[in-house]
Amino acid sequence: MAVFSADERQLLHDSVNAFLRENYGFERWKRLARGAEMEGFGRTEWARYAELGWLGVALPEWAGGAGGGMTELGIVMAAAGRHMVLEPLLGTIVLGARAIEEAGTETQRETLLALIATGRLILAFCHAEPGGGYARDYVHTIARQEGGAFIVDGEKSFALGAHAADTLIVSARLSSQAGPLGLFLVPRVAAGVRLNVAPALDGRAGATVSFAGAKLALNARIGDGDEDRLAMIDRLIDRGAIAACAEACGAMAAVTEATIEYLKTRQQFGQPLAKFQVLQHRLVDMSVSGEEARAIVHAALQALDDEAPHAQRAVWAAKVQTARAARFVGGQAIQLHGGMGMTDELAIGHYYKRLTLCETLLGDGEFYLKRLGAAAAACAVA
Amino acid sequence: MFIHAMQHNRELDTFRAEVRAFCTREIPPQVARKQARGQHLEKDEYDAWLKRLGARGWLTGKWPKEHGGLGWSPEQFLAFQEELGRSGAPPLVSFGPTMAGPVIYTFGTPQQKTKYLGDIISNNTWWCQGYSEPGAGSDLAGLKTRAVREGNQYVVNGQKIWTSMAHWADMMFALVRTDPNAKKQEGISFLLIDMKSPGITVRPIIGITLGHHLNEVFFENVQVPVENRIGEENKGWTYAKFLLANERVGNVDVAKLEAYLRQIRSLLEATKEGGKALAEDPAFQRRLAEHEVGLATVKALMADQLAAAKANGAPSLMGAAALKLRGTELVQAILQTGIDALGRHGMVYQSAALHAGWNGELIGPQESADVLYEHLYRRAATIYGGSSEVQKNIIAKGALGL
Repeated sequence: MAVFSADERQLLHDSVNAFLRENYGFERWKRLARGAEMEGFGRTEWARYAELGWLGVALPEWAGGAGGGMTELGIVMAAAGRHMVLEPLLGTIVLGARAIEEAGTETQRETLLALIATGRLILAFCHAEPGGGYARDYVHTIARQEGGAFIVDGEKSFALGAHAADTLIVSARLSSQAGPLGLFLVPRVAAGVRLNVAPALDGRAGATVSFAGAKLALNARIGDGDEDRLAMIDRLIDRGAIAACAEACGAMAAVTEATIEYLKTRQQFGQPLAKFQVLQHRLVDMSVSGEEARAIVHAALQALDDEAPHAQRAVWAAKVQTARAARFVGGQAIQLHGGMGMTDELAIGHYYKRLTLCETLLGDGEFYLKRLGAAAAACAVA
Repeated sequence: MFIHAMQHNRELDTFRAEVRAFCTREIPPQVARKQARGQHLEKDEYDAWLKRLGARGWLTGKWPKEHGGLGWSPEQFLAFQEELGRSGAPPLVSFGPTMAGPVIYTFGTPQQKTKYLGDIISNNTWWCQGYSEPGAGSDLAGLKTRAVREGNQYVVNGQKIWTSMAHWADMMFALVRTDPNAKKQEGISFLLIDMKSPGITVRPIIGITLGHHLNEVFFENVQVPVENRIGEENKGWTYAKFLLANERVGNVDVAKLEAYLRQIRSLLEATKEGGKALAEDPAFQRRLAEHEVGLATVKALMADQLAAAKANGAPSLMGAAALKLRGTELVQAILQTGIDALGRHGMVYQSAALHAGWNGELIGPQESADVLYEHLYRRAATIYGGSSEVQKNIIAKGALGL
């Protein structure tokens, strides 16, 4: 897979962070997250990301993309975490775009990928279902082919960004509960499609989606065969999980820096809090946790780009480590800020919430630890 | 004493049954409905319930009889808390009964006792705590709010912060600086301030919960009668420390811990992974068992401190700090287990559902919004009432002599 050179990556990292630093401060964040229109993100911002090439960073060049890989996506997601970007990057450029690129028909790829790169198509990934938790194969939504259409019935759990997506990427079993898993492009606004829009913990929004006899054209299916897409969905979720880790890495770096600065200036007992050894060690632990996560996430991104045989386990291990780090760093950021960390007026609490979401998005640490354990046991038996 | 006589006591069982029957009969239907839905109470709703408890003397049951209490044993107070929690009653409020009251009956004048204790017993007054300031958090004795004596009044200027429920309070017990030239612990006085006094402004602080619980309180030439001072001028730190030890014990609410555990159990029943309830997952079962052990330990530490308070007039320095430390760690651990379940529903935070009149559609189990709110709110448990770091310093210096 074509990827950027080290210099190009550095340039991408610097330019994304510089843009967000200048244009996406906490005040702007508050206005977008709490905006009257309840979208919880900025359409203007989205258009700018398209112009800057971020939305197509991992799309093929023929679709107007930059031809980058997971590492490049990781760089964008880390910056998004650092600046608490609200726009639906995960659902659109990490999950949705990849589903279309990997499984779509030629027509779907040719029409949709360019729309994504130019910011004219927002996607949300609707796979998990209420009884399934983090399980990846738990799909009871059914798509029955009736004449020249698919009829969809079922229910999907809360998906970030679903409230504002143009198109939902929906998994459903073909014909029956025992049928193969397919993916469908479902317009958000359509007969038989009902959304329950709600805020997520971190200020972003999303929706649960239910389908009651929703009628889709035959070409709404991603790809045109009946093959089972479970393995592909599994890889897709791995991409999402590592992107959430990258996001957490950016958020951890930002909140650790803010905490160090605060302890250097906050005077108690006649000196800055940063002079207390017990607090110095805590800051060290926060920094080291962030570094560990950054290192293991980088390694997993590289493994995915290299299509290394251990890539999947590298992602799972990264999610376990990052989830732990996110919980510790986010919690300590509040603890060391004291009451200040508990207010809605400061960014610290919002970073905590963002990290809590990153920790659980597409599977928490405990979930991946179990998967790693099961995989190791299977290896031992084989 | 290493072993406590914790024999099963028939009198205590009778008392428990009485509390249960009282709750069934007396919790106002509106309060019960909101409690069951995890919704927040308005002041008048809360007040109506607390007044009913107050009419029985139960808010201050553990106070000595000579001060209007019922002289409850520690076991009886714990039993009371447990039965309230199990009946779905709202949590007790500690500012009057646990914090202000004992300071007043221990250090107050006869006039102060007459004036304030009765209204605490019956919940006719709501109290708030004027301790923390923008520049005085962990270093509480660094407080700067100034009280200057003019005749038989103090004129108070300054600011308090993180004042829980100041917007509901009738009275504040406050630490103020009366001698700016003395060593910092030695120039502090303890005042009882009427919140309706001219010159007081209460400004809300919205928390990460998105709820209003905390406030800033500003004082501008507020006149406080000298007769509202507890004990001697410039000796306020002594009373402040006495109150802090009680606060540490009061910060741990075993009934609330039990209630959280019940909520989390129900959340784990209602949350499925691959079609199977998380409650059946051995990893979650183990965590619940860990929480049970934690709860039993905290209850035992609590019983010790209640016994010490009854025998010596105050809990022990180390015991109260240890209880606060472990009790607040436990509360966070229990709620973390809840959060781990909620991730499976997408970590939706429908905070509007916590208010009566919301008619949206809830996502996930019924407890979701309440558990998230409490999780966020209890991030402060290891901060308020002296942070965990401060508790450890107290134990290191005060108890271990380091």
